[in-house]
Amino acid sequence: MMFFLEKRDLPELLRRAGAFFEIIAPVLINGEPQLVSWRGEDLALSAPNPLLPPTRLFLPPRETLFTYLQESGLYTFEVPEVRNRLIFGLRPCDLRALSLLDRIMLAEPFDELYSKRRRSTAIIALNCTEPDESCFCAQMGAGPEAHEGFDLLLTDLGERYLLETGSPAGIMLARASEELLERGDDVEKRKLMRESRDRIMSARPWLSPERMRSRLREIDWRSLSEECISCGGCSFVCPTCHCFTIADLGLPDGERIRCADSCILSGFHRMASGANPKARAEERLSSWYMEKLEHMPVRTGLLGCVGCGRCDRVCFSGLHRTDIFR
Amino acid sequence: MSEYIPLQAEIVDIDRVTHDSYLISLQILDRDVSFTYRPGQFVMVSLFGMGECPISIASSPTRNVLQLCIRRAGRITNGIMDSMIGDVLGIRGPLGNGFPVDKMHKRIIIAGGGSGFATLRSLINYIVDRRDEFDEVFVAYGARTRQDLYFMQEYKSWKMDGIEIELTVDVGDESWRGNVGMVPELLDRMEISPPASAAICGPMPMIHAVTKKLLENGFSESDIFVSMERHMKCGIGKCEHCTIGPYRVCKEGPVFPYNMIRDLL
Repeated sequence: MMFFLEKRDLPELLRRAGAFFEIIAPVLINGEPQLVSWRGEDLALSAPNPLLPPTRLFLPPRETLFTYLQESGLYTFEVPEVRNRLIFGLRPCDLRALSLLDRIMLAEPFDELYSKRRRSTAIIALNCTEPDESCFCAQMGAGPEAHEGFDLLLTDLGERYLLETGSPAGIMLARASEELLERGDDVEKRKLMRESRDRIMSARPWLSPERMRSRLREIDWRSLSEECISCGGCSFVCPTCHCFTIADLGLPDGERIRCADSCILSGFHRMASGANPKARAEERLSSWYMEKLEHMPVRTGLLGCVGCGRCDRVCFSGLHRTDIFR
Repeated sequence: MSEYIPLQAEIVDIDRVTHDSYLISLQILDRDVSFTYRPGQFVMVSLFGMGECPISIASSPTRNVLQLCIRRAGRITNGIMDSMIGDVLGIRGPLGNGFPVDKMHKRIIIAGGGSGFATLRSLINYIVDRRDEFDEVFVAYGARTRQDLYFMQEYKSWKMDGIEIELTVDVGDESWRGNVGMVPELLDRMEISPPASAAICGPMPMIHAVTKKLLENGFSESDIFVSMERHMKCGIGKCEHCTIGPYRVCKEGPVFPYNMIRDLL
């Protein structure tokens, strides 16, 4: 179903949804857009996509897997509950990343906490009519237009939004704001999306997954990695990165936590014996790209790079420029 | 029920294997849990407050006890070895694929190096208990010194069950009258010719050398099964710590036919 929504009515639509969900939306914090719990602040919809991806709302930087409580030598365990929430303003590239994560985290045996969070989260996505210069989602087939994975989808048509429903939950959300909506069509949206796509493609007409894959084996990773400080920043902002580590806090009672981890960090592969199959930065950097471009597609059927450009935005050494694949 | 929540297992016996390794026998305390496994599978062992680490199962599913051979390697294994009979550990598993015992040939070569022999003991005892399903079995095992050889008290009974076993050490001393040298050299004494299957676990240079020797002797790459070791956290194919190329050692492994990982090692 398609509707038009006046721009001034958007906060009201969100407020009504807030009766059922905690609303998470992009807001400017110290000038930087971030996905945070929304309490009516101005929405940062024209700012670039937040650097910390929505992946971290499903796999938080740090979370409790379960708590353990010891009583006369035996343990009881408790898994934390999750809250219903609605993420507003998710971009098509990040939606694609979530589909990829689903294929990993929900594969047998499924990851319970991730699964609970996915099931209790509604998504209002926002098509990208004003792509950032770091974006290359069109080349990666992940944007600038969302086709699935949302409950509601908005497209900025200038004066108003086009609102499309993508699920039964989305239809319910739209019904709750029925009198704010009028029947719409996607004529203008199609034109805008075509223009957006052309802009992204013409910024890097040479770029394609095939091009990147063929360059993987030609790039001089050793000299490129000389500038890599192995900080892992690229992984922590990448929407498809999902590596984590597990640790225990507390004795005899406590919690088992998991934290975001990165295969770029030097100790990621190190075993208890001290042996490290990927001790050199160049091995880790090249395998990071190998994972995105070759291994994730084998395992999930989806490309591990969605073209969001965050790794380039965050890298201190400027290593993740798409130019390395030129 | 979260996949990350372990079963609870009581330590019912501890045997000294070498100066730095112990064989720990466990009894699962959770009711209504049938813990069935294949040789070559592993478990994630929890010491609450310290964390978890992957340990291969050293016992055979044909026997009614779950045993893990633990070597002092890091923080958690040190902690486990300080545990006593009656203490409770967490166990997640069995994890990984294990050796494809049903698809292997009847003639089997087993090559182990150092603590990699623990997972192969599971396979050897499996063969011993189903001896009529297998033909000739040749075991080649090497460790650093005589004091580092695992499961010495079992060799005699294996031989009585018609399993040929050859040993070697890297560094000999006056108490050692056997071979000094590399495991692949032991394969020269083997009379088994293909078609036969091989199971290998040990340090990388040993895996490479043994595989090379077997291939020279006409073994097929897909009949050589290598059990790999990697750092692991989740054990269920999510955390990506143990990847080798597109494979996760915890899920698609730890046992790989050589042709599957040849170009990734």
